Amino acid sequence: MPDAPTILERPQRWDAAFDANMTDEDVNRLLFTAPFSGMDGGKFPKRTPLREIIRNDMRILKFRKGEIIMRQGDYGTSAFLILQGAARVVLKPDLAPSLLGRQATGKKGVFLTLAQLLNRSRAPEVLPRPILGQSSGVSARQNENETRVFLQDVPRILDRHRTAQMTAGEFFGEIAALSRMARTSTIFADSDDAELLEIRWQGLRDLMKYDDALRTHINKIYRERALASYLRATPLFKNLSKEQLDRLAESVEFATFGDYDWSGEYKRLAQSGSVRPEKEPVIVGEGDYPNGIVLLRAGFARISQKFGSGERTLNYIGAGQIFGLNEIAHNWHKKDAAVNMQFSLRAIGYTHLLIVPTRVMEEIVLPSLPKGELPPPIEKVAGDFDSAPPETAAREKVGAEVLEFLTENRFFNGTATMVIDLDRCTRCDDCVRACASTHDNNPRFLRHGPSAGRLMIANACMHCADPVCMIGCPTGAIHRESFAGQVVINPATCIGCKSCFNNCPYDAIRMVEVRDVRGEFLVDQEMKPIAKATKCDLCVENHGGPSCERACPHGALTRMNLNNLDSLSKWLKR
Amino acid sequence: MNRFRRQLFSGLFALIVATLAALWLDARFHTLANYAFLTGWVLLAGMFVLTIYNVRKKLPFLPLGKSETWLQIHIYLGFFTTLLFLIHLNFHLPRGGFEITLALLFVLVSGSGMVGLFFSRVLPRRLATRGGEVIFEKIPALRHGLKGEAETLALGTEAKSPVIAEFYAKRLADFFSGPKNFWRHLVESRRAASALVAGLDDLRRFANDADRAKIEKLTALVRQKDGLDYHRSLQLSLRLWLFVHIPLTYGLMIFTVLHIVLVFGFSGGAR
Repeated sequence: MPDAPTILERPQRWDAAFDANMTDEDVNRLLFTAPFSGMDGGKFPKRTPLREIIRNDMRILKFRKGEIIMRQGDYGTSAFLILQGAARVVLKPDLAPSLLGRQATGKKGVFLTLAQLLNRSRAPEVLPRPILGQSSGVSARQNENETRVFLQDVPRILDRHRTAQMTAGEFFGEIAALSRMARTSTIFADSDDAELLEIRWQGLRDLMKYDDALRTHINKIYRERALASYLRATPLFKNLSKEQLDRLAESVEFATFGDYDWSGEYKRLAQSGSVRPEKEPVIVGEGDYPNGIVLLRAGFARISQKFGSGERTLNYIGAGQIFGLNEIAHNWHKKDAAVNMQFSLRAIGYTHLLIVPTRVMEEIVLPSLPKGELPPPIEKVAGDFDSAPPETAAREKVGAEVLEFLTENRFFNGTATMVIDLDRCTRCDDCVRACASTHDNNPRFLRHGPSAGRLMIANACMHCADPVCMIGCPTGAIHRESFAGQVVINPATCIGCKSCFNNCPYDAIRMVEVRDVRGEFLVDQEMKPIAKATKCDLCVENHGGPSCERACPHGALTRMNLNNLDSLSKWLKR
Repeated sequence: MNRFRRQLFSGLFALIVATLAALWLDARFHTLANYAFLTGWVLLAGMFVLTIYNVRKKLPFLPLGKSETWLQIHIYLGFFTTLLFLIHLNFHLPRGGFEITLALLFVLVSGSGMVGLFFSRVLPRRLATRGGEVIFEKIPALRHGLKGEAETLALGTEAKSPVIAEFYAKRLADFFSGPKNFWRHLVESRRAASALVAGLDDLRRFANDADRAKIEKLTALVRQKDGLDYHRSLQLSLRLWLFVHIPLTYGLMIFTVLHIVLVFGFSGGAR
């Protein structure tokens, strides 16, 4: 007789509150605090009442003077509201990386490179005391269950940097949280009694959805601080005058699709083999009326077309790319032979986008474009694969199998993905040995991974365009070397919390137990080994580029930005 | 023309030019009194450049250029030095134990290099086509796992078929016990695994439904094991030639130095 099934309550959104210790008193107090006091609870649906959003998607944090609340360049998933006390934002110049717990940047000099020959230890992952104890200008303190990093010399920072104080009632961090962009400033507590409300993105999204005032407020901030410069830098709008750009900025709509915390969900789906385009949220459906062009601001989206009873991938697009221009330009040209959307656009993971309405496109943008820059009219209609415009021709560039493989596994996220041509790879492991020689006798990748035909994506850090590993690092140890640069970990400030290790959807980060110069494991007071997160750093300190790539005798290994399929196509056709 | 074809054509072109140049030099300067010294020193310089490729491999963190470029130079120079070696020998077989050993070492190093080049151009494609990519060092553990699964199916407490047990004991036990068919895999012969699969197929005549399911699973395990053996055979071949090429290179260099000492010793260092 078969066993009776285990019956559970269906998992709900708020099964795991942001802070399980939020009390009724806290919630009541917040309901009487602006901006929540001005919100109309009746506008919130029964399933997500305001009270429960506050209880489950927010937490109250206390900071002491000098403690860092957010660092410039970090990726965060939440916004902050100052409830009490003050915080200070660093405006100009930016704080030195070492003050934020990051590694000193730069390549090794000739002598240091040569010294590697002599200093190499036999044991793997040896961390000499000077690295562990390096003076970084920051220190960490344990605050309840959290590690807080604080600036040691606040007066000196105030003296040397232009800063601004923010006081109770002010919001910050909301744009980076909603658009999944890097934080643009560093903010630290400016009083010993600073009390902040941290609102995770899901809660902020719902508050914006049901409260007009907050939505208007955040949209206004977004338009003022981020949108104007973004639109100015977009090539499609380069011919617009200031007035036209202002009008464009006013008419642009914002939208987010997908799951902000997609990495965990993706891992689960990938393990069960159920990653399917049909399950991805539709941004624009094939056959829909073209309401406007879609500009991807952050994240990735899949362009697909109905095929049999499923969807076949034609291409994927990332930040800065546009969808829907062909149809709108066609309809503008040929009003009597208008077409609907030829393909679907679906969010992969999390996507933040801007929509420029068709009316604005027709009135302002399209007339400003020279004839040569306008897409040609669409000759054939949906259902005919040959009608794919150039940006959807990726399928032909790299082949259908490879394209589906890259999309299913979300490898397009990688800006320096380790790609191996199995037709050329002799499995000699010279790349692995080179990596180990360069990095403390411990290779930072596995020469193995998912493959499709002759293409293998090795298990190495891809230095993602959307680095989910950087979300939640308590000390800022994992960071970008420069804007859009390599993602690296500073061993001096890594506390081994596994946050990046758990977040990485590609299992490219490993926890290793570190040793002293004698080769003995380093242990804490409880005699537990000290672990640090390690991963490929793209040999950022060495001259000549990644040693794995340079070490391959057969040109079988390369580091590649898979967001650009042209380079992959060229490489495969060498 | 793609990059690898371009490399091949430029290599062949370089080889033809080097051959013609060497033959012309040979014809032009053959009558020189110190001709053997000239070819000898050029040969030594070539061998030195060939040998330091391994040093480059040991220093991956230094910006010494791409290993791929080094290998191309290594290959072309390898062909050139082989030709120069024949010219140095005046296209005659050497005489005397020392000279024969030296020449034999050169031939073995050069020959193993050519075998390695052939393997590295042919075997990776075959491995990729076969699929089931596996890390070489993990093969023994995977093989052990397959053996355990097969044993449980054929001989475990729930196995009740004497027919399967007998077939396992007679034919499969040895197959699963370790790596098999090294040479067959290298020459792309599937005969051994096909025979085992055919044997398992024959057993179906004597099997009930439950046993047929076991035979299916055993067939799948045989195919997996065969795939592992295939990878082991080809991946081992891709490594083994280096175990000949590199140690003999050091032997060759030692004998070469001794050869120079002897030549200078007996020629009085006059030239």
